[in-house]
Amino acid sequence: MTGRARTLIGFVVVGTALGLVPNLEEILTFPRFYLIFLFTIFFWVAQASSWNILTGYSGYFSFGQGAFYGVGVYTASVLVGKHGWSFITALPIAGVVAGATGLVLGLVVFRVRRLTGEIFALTTLAVAFVLASVARLSPSIDGGTGIFMTGTAVPEVLGEFTTAVYRLTLLIALVAVVTAYLIHDSRLGWGLFAIRDDEAVASGLGVPTFRYKMIALGANASLAGLMGGLWSIQLGFVTIDDVFNIRVPLFVILMSVLGGMRHWMGPVVGAVIITTLADRLNSAGLADVNQIVIGGMLVVLALAVREGVYVRMRRRWGTTAITFFGVLVVTIVLGINESLISDFAYAMVATVVVMLLPERAWDQIRRFFGRREPGAGDERAEGLTRTGS
Amino acid sequence: MRQHRRWSYMAVITTLALIAAACGDGEGGATSTLAPGTTGAPQTTEAETDTETTAATGEPIRIGGTLALTGVFAATAAIHQATGEVFVERLNESGGLLGRPVEWVLLDDESTPDLAAAAYERLITEDEVDLVIGPYGTGNITAAMAVAQRYGYVFPHHTASLTYAYNYECHFSSWSTGLHPNITNPNLLYDAIESSGTPPETIGFVVNEFPGTMFISYGQPDTDEGGAVAEAEKRGWEVVLDVTFPIATSDWGPIAAQIKDADPDFLFIAGLGLDAPNIINAMQTIDYQPAGMFVQWPAPGPLLGTEGADGIMSVTIFEEHPPFTDDPEAVEVAADISQALADSGVPYTKVETQAAASWTAWEYLQQAAEGAGSLDQEAMCNWLIENGADTLFHGNIEFFPDQQNYYEDLSKIKQVQDGDWWVVYPSEFAAPDRSVIYSP
Amino acid sequence: MGLLAQGIVSGVLVGGLYALMSLGISLSWGALKIINLAHFAFILLSAYLVYQLTVSFGLDPLLTILIILPLFFLVGVLMQLFFHLARVDEFKSLIVSFGLLIIFQSLIQTTWSADFRRIGSALNPYETESFFIGSVAFPLAQLMAFVSALLIAGAMYLLFTRTYFGKAVRAVAQDPEMARAFGVDPRRVAVILSGLSTAFSALAGVFIAIGQTLFPGLAVGWFGIVFSVVILGGLGNALGAVVAGVIIGVAAGVATILWGPLAAPLVTFLILIGALLFRPEGLLTTRSVA
Repeated sequence: MTGRARTLIGFVVVGTALGLVPNLEEILTFPRFYLIFLFTIFFWVAQASSWNILTGYSGYFSFGQGAFYGVGVYTASVLVGKHGWSFITALPIAGVVAGATGLVLGLVVFRVRRLTGEIFALTTLAVAFVLASVARLSPSIDGGTGIFMTGTAVPEVLGEFTTAVYRLTLLIALVAVVTAYLIHDSRLGWGLFAIRDDEAVASGLGVPTFRYKMIALGANASLAGLMGGLWSIQLGFVTIDDVFNIRVPLFVILMSVLGGMRHWMGPVVGAVIITTLADRLNSAGLADVNQIVIGGMLVVLALAVREGVYVRMRRRWGTTAITFFGVLVVTIVLGINESLISDFAYAMVATVVVMLLPERAWDQIRRFFGRREPGAGDERAEGLTRTGS
Repeated sequence: MRQHRRWSYMAVITTLALIAAACGDGEGGATSTLAPGTTGAPQTTEAETDTETTAATGEPIRIGGTLALTGVFAATAAIHQATGEVFVERLNESGGLLGRPVEWVLLDDESTPDLAAAAYERLITEDEVDLVIGPYGTGNITAAMAVAQRYGYVFPHHTASLTYAYNYECHFSSWSTGLHPNITNPNLLYDAIESSGTPPETIGFVVNEFPGTMFISYGQPDTDEGGAVAEAEKRGWEVVLDVTFPIATSDWGPIAAQIKDADPDFLFIAGLGLDAPNIINAMQTIDYQPAGMFVQWPAPGPLLGTEGADGIMSVTIFEEHPPFTDDPEAVEVAADISQALADSGVPYTKVETQAAASWTAWEYLQQAAEGAGSLDQEAMCNWLIENGADTLFHGNIEFFPDQQNYYEDLSKIKQVQDGDWWVVYPSEFAAPDRSVIYSP
Repeated sequence: MGLLAQGIVSGVLVGGLYALMSLGISLSWGALKIINLAHFAFILLSAYLVYQLTVSFGLDPLLTILIILPLFFLVGVLMQLFFHLARVDEFKSLIVSFGLLIIFQSLIQTTWSADFRRIGSALNPYETESFFIGSVAFPLAQLMAFVSALLIAGAMYLLFTRTYFGKAVRAVAQDPEMARAFGVDPRRVAVILSGLSTAFSALAGVFIAIGQTLFPGLAVGWFGIVFSVVILGGLGNALGAVVAGVIIGVAAGVATILWGPLAAPLVTFLILIGALLFRPEGLLTTRSVA
């Protein structure tokens, strides 16, 4: 069985397992809030993964996640909240409209030859502001009054409200991650990486740079918009300032940098870590410290974690597994925390901390346990850092 | 490589330290077993000695809610936090709720509606709070109300301005403007202006693009009801200016220039927070001052320190002067709240609409539970609808189901005179020897 | 006509303030290859400090400049040393400085509460003063900001083109290793430049404290305008920043008068997008640093 087939089956298994979690609510009696916690993770997984398809793979740094997300939210809200369309019909349209926005942007922007990386980044930021202004000016979109999405009906087959949102976010997140995975291991992905390394050379090698960039941008935009459309019902009351702000564009950057931008699992890991930490800090009731800790983490991790946490986890997967499950089991058994989410957070933080230890520390630990592998640790680290995948 | 290692160690240590600090106060402690609380009859307090407080006993009643402790709404949310804390403290000192101590489980919604919704869902399904109280900020309130509705929790809230949108049967608003503030509020103002004897001929509108102020000025979107602008036209006043500005405006010069150019007899600033000081400053800078001004929901403090703000009017429910202070309990409570505001570093520490609305929402919750004799949501909801509430700052409130549980408009008009706010209309609520000053 | 004239004048002057706010980031980005979002925090922090010094000690707000500028110069120096030690490249600098921005904003909120802060007319004589030419007003606070921006831009131009230090900066911006080979110490150049940039940001904060009401969320609201000015003006180009600031201020002001305040941000960002697409190196290319 090929590696790809195995991974795809893996997705199906994981997806199904997660999809069945709401059904287990009765049996395992966990608080319904866990579903919300999980689907918040799914939201960020989709956003970060879709963003990484463009920025991580092709190297074209985008501040525009907010624009595509916003287009998705507003498309769904206008159709459903203002014109009474059914939510399930409006949802894919949100994705399509956002994708189209991305493609139009790409048509204009990718044709300009002198567009360097940072300039592209700021163009995407500017697009977000322009879209917000347009929405503000036009009463048929928002005009300042906001759109009420509370009380939107979701199809009964998906279960009651929270479960429905859970299943839909899971679905979209899966689509996003699978898309990122498929692109990563394909000719398209190889072409994008080549563009990232040196676009002129890639073009010379015969990579259809314009087409590939458009595909990446289109995938990014449509996935962001699709999840945005879904999220409109979680927002409840959709206003320009709640949607077109700096939160989404900046968090996807943080998550992808933390997890690693060179691999499709990076944003997933980053999204899980950041969402969990933000949630636990918020629930610990430390409002101001929350912001300071996140900011501090951003600084420290951006400096200390060059290739992202995921690559390190994979490199030392044994240690990762032992640390994570070890701490998880210990905290659950000891009953230190009221919430399973907190146990999970402790296990996660412990794993991340262990991952941050540099190679030299590992050598010393290994030496301590009498299992000395001369030099192998350093070589491996060097090797993987170079190729990074 | 050495640099990198050093950073790695630092990262480890810093992360550990930060996490340790953050988790230090939060987790661990009381498990939420559901042993029924003791139901001893609440003892009455002796008024003489203040050391003699009655102790509420038993398992605490947990009231869950969020506030915008961080984010764009944090400034005003601080008022609600202080007010709520005073309420809970006083309640516990006087025997608690149904004899049990009350605990406010307050989370931060970071001024973000989706976080507010998630937080309420956590409070209800994970923390399993007994009661909930609303957050601050229309978006947050809307999102939270949807959650409360799904789980059938009574939902008292204080500051949601888009009245028309709320039709959950068990929502109870203490934002005492009635169901149609877009009609009643402006008419109250216009009556007040006319009571000066010299009504304006022209009027100008400067509207913040915030949903609440848009509603007041133009009415509910996609309806003909109209708002402040239409009501002014009905009085035969000429609308010479009608501009809408974005919430994040930083350059007020051009707007001020437009106002000066239009030169209205009266300027209606449908704005909040800092809009009025900013606009007034900008007008002063180009040497212009309208004959009369009104601002919808200002941050009261900064406006007082603004040159040229004398004579500006606004709406209020409560101010710290007679006749509002004729009730000694109101005075005492207001003093406690002021102290709490000062302690938390809020610059303007007088009690006015925000704090009063907050207090009233808490009173709804307390009276509902006491009236129904239990914490059953449906019983509490029915009791409130049947009996209304008797509140300290708003007087008697009734909830009319056919008006989406709204009452009538209880607003009054206040004006800055001699450097401070005074209620000036209606006359039975006006401060002693104070009335509307306006002449175009 | 008077209305339009007022709108234009207002736009020109506020453009000076925008330029001042953008100088720090522009110079950092152009010369040091560091996108330093922490400058927004510095502007905000400086404004709050001006507020506090004025309110607590009764100082004239302009006098606080004597304390603020050296203080923030030092902060800029320390910041650059930190970036150097941490070996941040352009991309990481974005993230790291954003983290610093969040930290500073939280610290500001913890110290001064989230509530609004204004110096108030009693202590702030410049708040509503203006000069008048005919019926057109030139607000004093904005005029001072504009004049400062012009002076600084002029000084920077002279610095970069006429002095040894200026040449050193340009050399370092183009190729630090080559510059080192010619005897220039890139680190010292970077540190001084960073100090200057931060001092400029702090100066912008002074004028903001004089002219506006403060609250912690102000910083994030400046992103759009500052980046517009930075790009339109060209990275590292101080004169360009002034020109760009004026263009944006005037465009927004005129748009407000013609089509209402809601049109202003739209016009601003359409200008930015146009600049990004058709002249991304900035308007005054030949005189830029990098």
